[in-house]
Amino acid sequence: MELRIIRELEKLLGREAVLSSKEDLQLYEYDGSVEQARPECVVFPRTTEDVAGVARISARNKVPMVGRGAGTGLSGGALAPQGGILTVFSRMNRILEIDAENLRAVVQPGVVNLDVTRAVEHLGLYFAPDPSSQKACTIGGNVSENAGGPHTLAYGVTTNHVTGLQLVMPDGEVVRVGGKTCETPGYDLTGLMVGSEGTLALVTEVTVRLSRKPEAVKTLLAVYDRVEDAPETVADMTGRAITPAACEMLDGWTLRAVEDFVHAGFPMDSAAVLLIEVEGLTEAVEEQAALIMEICRTHNAREVRLARDGSERDLLWKGRKNAFGAVGRLSPSYYVQDAVIPRTKLPETLRKINEIGERYGFQIGNIFHAGDGNLHPIIMFDERDKEQFERAVAASGEIMRHCISAGGALTGEHGVGMEKNELMPLMFSETDIELMGRVREAFNPEGWLNPGKILPMGKGCGEVRIPVGGAKALGTL
Amino acid sequence: MSAAVAARVAQKFGAENVATHAAELAAYEVDGMRPAAAVRVGSVEEIAELLRFAGAEKLAVIPCGGRTKLGIGAVPARYDIALDLSGMNRVLAYEPRDLTLGVEPGARISDLWGVLGCEGQWLPVIDAFGDRSTIGGVLAADSASPLRHGFGGPRDFTLGMEFVTGYGAIAKSGGRVVKNVTGYDMHKVLIGSLGTLGVITRANFKTFPWPPARDVFVAHFESCVGAMDFCKAVQKSPLEPRLVEVISPEAERLISASAKTPQPLNAKGWSVIIGVTAHRRVVERHARELKELASQNKAREFVRIGGDDQSEILNAACTVPSFILAADLGAVIFRIAAVPAVMAALAGRLAKVASDAEIQYATLLRPHGLVYFALLPNSKPPADVSRAALEVFRSVEEMGAKARIEFAPVELKRTVSVWGTARQDFELMRRVKNIFDPGNVLSPGRFAGGI
Repeated sequence: MELRIIRELEKLLGREAVLSSKEDLQLYEYDGSVEQARPECVVFPRTTEDVAGVARISARNKVPMVGRGAGTGLSGGALAPQGGILTVFSRMNRILEIDAENLRAVVQPGVVNLDVTRAVEHLGLYFAPDPSSQKACTIGGNVSENAGGPHTLAYGVTTNHVTGLQLVMPDGEVVRVGGKTCETPGYDLTGLMVGSEGTLALVTEVTVRLSRKPEAVKTLLAVYDRVEDAPETVADMTGRAITPAACEMLDGWTLRAVEDFVHAGFPMDSAAVLLIEVEGLTEAVEEQAALIMEICRTHNAREVRLARDGSERDLLWKGRKNAFGAVGRLSPSYYVQDAVIPRTKLPETLRKINEIGERYGFQIGNIFHAGDGNLHPIIMFDERDKEQFERAVAASGEIMRHCISAGGALTGEHGVGMEKNELMPLMFSETDIELMGRVREAFNPEGWLNPGKILPMGKGCGEVRIPVGGAKALGTL
Repeated sequence: MSAAVAARVAQKFGAENVATHAAELAAYEVDGMRPAAAVRVGSVEEIAELLRFAGAEKLAVIPCGGRTKLGIGAVPARYDIALDLSGMNRVLAYEPRDLTLGVEPGARISDLWGVLGCEGQWLPVIDAFGDRSTIGGVLAADSASPLRHGFGGPRDFTLGMEFVTGYGAIAKSGGRVVKNVTGYDMHKVLIGSLGTLGVITRANFKTFPWPPARDVFVAHFESCVGAMDFCKAVQKSPLEPRLVEVISPEAERLISASAKTPQPLNAKGWSVIIGVTAHRRVVERHARELKELASQNKAREFVRIGGDDQSEILNAACTVPSFILAADLGAVIFRIAAVPAVMAALAGRLAKVASDAEIQYATLLRPHGLVYFALLPNSKPPADVSRAALEVFRSVEEMGAKARIEFAPVELKRTVSVWGTARQDFELMRRVKNIFDPGNVLSPGRFAGGI
């Protein structure tokens, strides 16, 4: 990047808010994905006006601009594959307003997800979306990716909990969409922006919906000797219209890896566990828990354990939420998918994943949001071994194709980013993608805002590439 | 549109599918404007073909289904062809064990409830126009059902859509699984777009299990403030009602006048209707604790509704706009998004606006965030009504709420912008319109800012 542009940014934000040395930039070439891309400069705005100024500099000098929160994203959304300015929101981390009466909070994008809940829990409130990275990830990132989490099974994903946004458009214009009210006359621009992965505008203020903490919570751990009994339990629960607040599955291999690391209390000799949580009024929770225990036993659970207290519950969730970290200790490289399948297809899909793993010679761990069919198969491989890497890519592709063919989706919560953009044709037709391209052009006409994300570029996209194959989309509505 | 073009439409889409006679076309009027032809389409491809034809001929098309909500929105700038989707009413996919449903837009809500009911499921959608409403219309108008309190609105349980753009491209967004962040959520902007962006040809939903038990309670209060204080107390409690509706005495009188009067709505004060759906023990707990909260908030009466009255009262609560229109065809009905904290004050202020103008009114508050306020002008001079309507907009804006007129006679719609004053995000909306319908074929002029 030309020094002139860096000086311009320093003049706008102050020298302490601009990084441009190679050593500094190295820290920003990763996020939580397997992708890697180095920005040409990193800036730390403090205000919306700062962000608007950076946008104007980006537009005037025709350099890319990419937003970034905590960098925990799993699809490369916060990386700068075409260089340019990485705009990091860590200094815009204030909670601007808590409006308990109207169940709203207005926050800056750099506020950490869990900090919203911490700020309102004394009022009996919380912010419902709870990605595994919620101790680190930011609300701005959640909005960009339309983040989920285990409890979104009952409460919905980020889009269901955001009512308004302040946006900085790529030309520096500041616009408000939505607000504190539950709707705004006109097109649902807030709904379009949430999940647009920072490709349409940068978000500088978020109005979130707060939820009332449930009166009672029960956490159950169902332990299975045969892995296939766990997904059968989930399919049966869904079929009987029981929606717990969360329903997570860990297969035997994964839970042993987690147990070694976290000591959460998962039985080391089991083939799979389901971590199920029910919330609500005491009476409802008791009835639901009893019914779920009965269904688990019908499907051969050898034990259904009820967490005795808050600390046992926290420990079980710690195991679940630190699972990827645990897996990272065991394999030089691993690749986590995020496909979604119809819930009734869980048993057969898990069988298929197992079969694919065996055929390609990989250990594939499974830990996922079973209740909503959001899979996270983890393929463990060594990227230094080219042949192994190629096989991992092929296995990954086969799993993804199977999920889409089963009526599923590419990504349930991690986003498309630069990791799956070349896979979009698996799910969407040329016309669908062209229309999405028109959406991007309408808001981001020059394409400087977060280029190379969501839409296919027609070339290889990153470390893990899955061949799309024929042009015809496998997905159907 | 010339008779010649109407003839070409008939030739292209089959005379048996195209209405061109005045008597038939009267049913497709929008704000007094009659199209030259109405085309009953049977497939997505036909819709695409029709829109491409209309684009080439510079004709304006308004999609419709049950035709219950064509009066919503501004007066169209042009209107040549009615695109009748009522024949596209199939259930395309229903997976009860996945709790997902895919339907065509012309499916009637009542029919969907029938299909889902067989599997012990339902969709939390009730429309003010009951049996005649179609799911496409509910989505296009983003119908405000009181069930939003407990289940959210269509944007919260719509999983994906297929639609035809104004330029005739068949596209989709979202999918049919319950969790999905792949690509832009384009279907979000189609919800509530009044047919100005695309023609919805399929919608996929998350379905809901039919609850084991339900009950309805009504609490009566002296004032709106008392009623809203009770609602706040309920909101702060652990209770989880699925429907909360606050009805003014004036609105109750209209309901009483136009239908079999549900006894508990006795027009003696402000009534709060609360619907609970849950397990029996949970319902019983609501009965106990709601009664207690009502008493603490000085309710004059608290009634548990039983038997047939239950359905009647729920029906009344869900269809208030239709009662208002039945009482006064000249009614001006505002749909106002407001935070709960200002609702009581807003209701008071709007009542004053109407009283000052010597116009009757009725109010309905939904504490999850919506207020319906109706001016009932009877034989008041139109200029007085317009002035009062503008005053309503001003008052709403001053209180930080957002209003639009949902129903009004065409004469008023020609003098008062039903969408209120243009907001800052209008330019972004115009861009959205240009993406989906650059030729301005679909419902021109009906949307905010003349879109």
